[in-house]
Amino acid sequence: METVKLEVFRYDPEKDKAPYFKEYEVPVEGTLLNALLYIKDNLDPTLAFRAFCRSEVCGSCSMKVNGKTKLACKTPMRELYETWKGKPLKIEPLNHMKVIKDLVVDIDKPIEKMKTLIPWLVPDPRVVPTDPMHESIIYPEEMKAYKDQIHCMLCFSCYSACEAVEDNERYRGPFAFSKAYRFQVDRRDIETAKEKRIRYAISGGLWSCVQCQKCLYVCPKGVKPAEDIQNLRGQAVRKGFTDKPGAKKLKHFVDWIYATGQINRLYLPEEVYGNREAREKLTKAYESMGVEVWEVPKPTKGLMKFRDIYLEILSREEKALELDFSHVRKIDKLVSDVFKADICTIVDKVHQKEEKTKGLIGRLKELFGGSDG
Amino acid sequence: MLEYDIVIVGGGGAGLYAALWAAENTILKVAVMTKVYPTRSHTGAAEGGINAVLTHSVGDSPEAHAYDTVKGSDFLADQDAVDIMCKMGAAVIYDIAHRGVPFSRRPDGRIAQRPFGGASFPRTCYAADKTGFYILQTLYEQCLKNNVTFLNEWFLLSIIHNGEKVEGLTAWDIRNGGVHLIKTKAVILATGGHARVYWNRTSNALGNTGDGTAAVLRAGLPVKDMEFIQFHPTGLAKTGILVTEGARGEGGYLRNKDGERFMKRYAPEKMELAPRDIVARAIQTEIDEGRGCGPNGDYVCLDLTHLGEKRINERLPQTREHAILYEGVDPVKEPIPVAPTAHYSMGGIDTDKLGRTSIKGLFAAGECACVSVHGANRLGGNSLLDVLVYGRLTALEAVKYADEASDTQPSASKLKDDERRILELMEASGKESMPKLRRELGEVMMKHFGVFREESSMREGLEKIYEIRERAKEVKVYDTSKKFNTDLISVLEFLNLVEIAPAIALPAIERKESRGSHARKDYPKRDDENFLKHSVVVKGEDGELSLSWKPVVITKFPPEERKY
Ligand SMILES: Cc1cc2nc3c(=O)[nH]c(=O)nc-3n(C[C@H](O)[C@H](O)[C@H](O)COP(=O)(O)OP(=O)(O)OC[C@H]3O[C@@H](n4cnc5c(N)ncnc54)[C@H](O)[C@@H]3O)c2cc1C
Ligand code: SF4
Ligand code: SF4
Ligand code: FES
Repeated sequence: METVKLEVFRYDPEKDKAPYFKEYEVPVEGTLLNALLYIKDNLDPTLAFRAFCRSEVCGSCSMKVNGKTKLACKTPMRELYETWKGKPLKIEPLNHMKVIKDLVVDIDKPIEKMKTLIPWLVPDPRVVPTDPMHESIIYPEEMKAYKDQIHCMLCFSCYSACEAVEDNERYRGPFAFSKAYRFQVDRRDIETAKEKRIRYAISGGLWSCVQCQKCLYVCPKGVKPAEDIQNLRGQAVRKGFTDKPGAKKLKHFVDWIYATGQINRLYLPEEVYGNREAREKLTKAYESMGVEVWEVPKPTKGLMKFRDIYLEILSREEKALELDFSHVRKIDKLVSDVFKADICTIVDKVHQKEEKTKGLIGRLKELFGGSDG
Repeated sequence: MLEYDIVIVGGGGAGLYAALWAAENTILKVAVMTKVYPTRSHTGAAEGGINAVLTHSVGDSPEAHAYDTVKGSDFLADQDAVDIMCKMGAAVIYDIAHRGVPFSRRPDGRIAQRPFGGASFPRTCYAADKTGFYILQTLYEQCLKNNVTFLNEWFLLSIIHNGEKVEGLTAWDIRNGGVHLIKTKAVILATGGHARVYWNRTSNALGNTGDGTAAVLRAGLPVKDMEFIQFHPTGLAKTGILVTEGARGEGGYLRNKDGERFMKRYAPEKMELAPRDIVARAIQTEIDEGRGCGPNGDYVCLDLTHLGEKRINERLPQTREHAILYEGVDPVKEPIPVAPTAHYSMGGIDTDKLGRTSIKGLFAAGECACVSVHGANRLGGNSLLDVLVYGRLTALEAVKYADEASDTQPSASKLKDDERRILELMEASGKESMPKLRRELGEVMMKHFGVFREESSMREGLEKIYEIRERAKEVKVYDTSKKFNTDLISVLEFLNLVEIAPAIALPAIERKESRGSHARKDYPKRDDENFLKHSVVVKGEDGELSLSWKPVVITKFPPEERKY
């Protein structure tokens, strides 16, 4: 029988000073869970790991194999054997949670974190009848909005892989946001609860997600936390929760890109963090280095056409509402003032007379009356 | 000592629904104790659906549902209890739908229902092919919402009572180690089924070891109708993991080693779509008579190849994935090896129609209980209904009881006993290997108490069970650590199986008739004159089991032949 070596993480905090790896030889047969059960039944009954359903529904058995997050009962040994060319496989517990013993980690904390995001239905009495014998009507189409999120089986694979959890203790975790988002798009859930969820999501690190997409890749059930997080951010902005830097950042990006075709790094500190001096200091520093600085990005040819396309994309993703037109108008005005003309004509003019656009910084300083004392 | 008013043991469908209804209806101190995190309970594996007559079910009625259930039970179910369950169907479905269970919907927005084996109307509500999963997740969410206290990863050891009422429990804290005495006025057991007695061939999770039922036996209390175990016809040959009925529904063929579609000899009209028990028996007969496939002739083939890759991917994605993963066979290219697999325990803790046991304050709900609403054979989709209805009823009963019950004083002697028991296991000789014995027990059960049964074979089987019970005394727990000692848990679970096996065997031998899932070759007919009654098994002080009988409650539907 073909065999392969497993190097399994062992640690009993009561007995061992430090974790160590123990080697077991197992048959290349069935799933990784079969291999672990083989160890337990035949080689070493003291090995601790969690498993229950053995058919990928209960979420007990996620762990790391050579650094990659895997669900043991869903991972064929043959596949591991081939991927790693018969080399030993390092089996380790999930990241970001305390090891209780061997491959068993403490999952109470992520559950507690999830709980803060109200991951349950708070029925709106106008939609959900209070009479228990009265059915609430839900159309098949509306269920599509949360068809992926409801598959989460709390296996914590995504929590283990997440970059943001790594950086930020408070970060609620990918699955937690997906669990919360599921109710954000359920018509039966009451508006006040939705608003609270956003508020708690923001304080739970909604803007800390770096969109690395790892959660989406490791999820054995096809849940897409990274996307749900983006959507939650969108909801936060739409609901006017724009007082947080993250929300402001998104707003800044959306508005400036729409208005000028690119983001504006000079205005970012001011618009996002309220730091006015940063712009002036930056400008000064650049100037002293002899670097040309565009406070207002140079309008590009085809900007107006670009705006249409951009708006179309935003609306296709249902994010058009995130565009704050009063802010855009302000930016437009800035640009028009600088160029002393309407934005539409500027686009052409700029391209006629490239030269003219130089030396804007001075003009802008006049405009804003910068206090570089 | 921990103190509660109500302790619910089990965090599956029955336990969580009980917890929810208790939490919402009382200010008493309620806790849910469960050996695995609630969302990992086996309820999550239920795919098919849950039966109930809804307000828009045209032509159907709770009476029709009750009749189908009683007929399906081969007239062994108690009709007063069946009546309660069927009448509450719509109420529990709407309740959990209101709490967020994403039931599949009809185009008009109402809960969709589909036909299921043994039902005269399409009344099985479903949520895609993950009904149990969504129910379990939703109930857990609702429990979090209600701030239910969970003792997650705690293992029930013993029930403490004084012969009249419940006083408390003992349990092992898996995470930190140590036996605890828990004082409580009421206990609801919702510990799930025991089909793991058939260790090598079952669709059940690794931990469906009947711990609550075994604790009841050890506490000297009665279990009922234990001889009835439902076998699902199509479990994957190597593991027993389920291949859904949908595979046959979509047009899959069952073939023996000669490639013959043998169902034509057993159910010429319905062929592969005949009721579960008939298909299971047909497959078993093929295997027993030497027409099985494979080197040992111990399975038949479920052939889907003619359906084509596209259809298989669209309609049976999970079946394909599982066949590849767990059997190493791609159903697009080759037939899937299948054989009957132990699936559901109809028998269990003896309760009345409200889930009460003979001990005040002790209730049981869900698969561990035998009310009985399933009698000799459970209909697909009725188990989840039973789980919810009795989860809720026992919660309300327990609240009512605990509200008025006086304080209890559980003696610490059970605590000492259990501590000693565990210590002894760690110090045992280890002459016998637990995994080996467990496999043996599984083989004995499948061979002698499987799909078909026969006096001489069962007697031989019972002897073997007793022998295993003796040898089990030499089983050792090698892991001596306190924290997360899964070696200890596996051994305790195994010992529970050893407790339960003879309680299945004894009434199986004495029930000299064929009824529902209990198919005897030597008594192929149902015998209402002598056996229209429940079997009751109690373990005496001397450790020996005694068997008695109890009448069936018959109200509306007089027994008739069960024909489909
Ligand atoms: C593959 C499969 C498919 C099924 N499909 C359907 C279907 O479509 N429709 C249907 O109606 N039925 C179906 N069933 C049956 C149904 O799923 C079960 O009967 C039902 O879910 C049992 O629920 P329960 O709450 O009683 O127990 P479980 O869900 O098994 O929960 C038992 C609980 O008890 C706890 N527990 C056990 N022992 C201890 C202990 N010693 N200490 C502490 N806690 C303990 C466990 O941790 C768990 O939380 C199916 C069953 C299987 C196996
Ligand atoms: S995309 Fe966000 S949530 Fe997902 S893993 Fe990366 S940082 Fe974490
Ligand atoms: S989102 Fe996916 S990976 Fe994360 S816990 Fe849920 S099922 Fe697991
Ligand atoms: S054992 Fe349940 S998901 Fe792997």
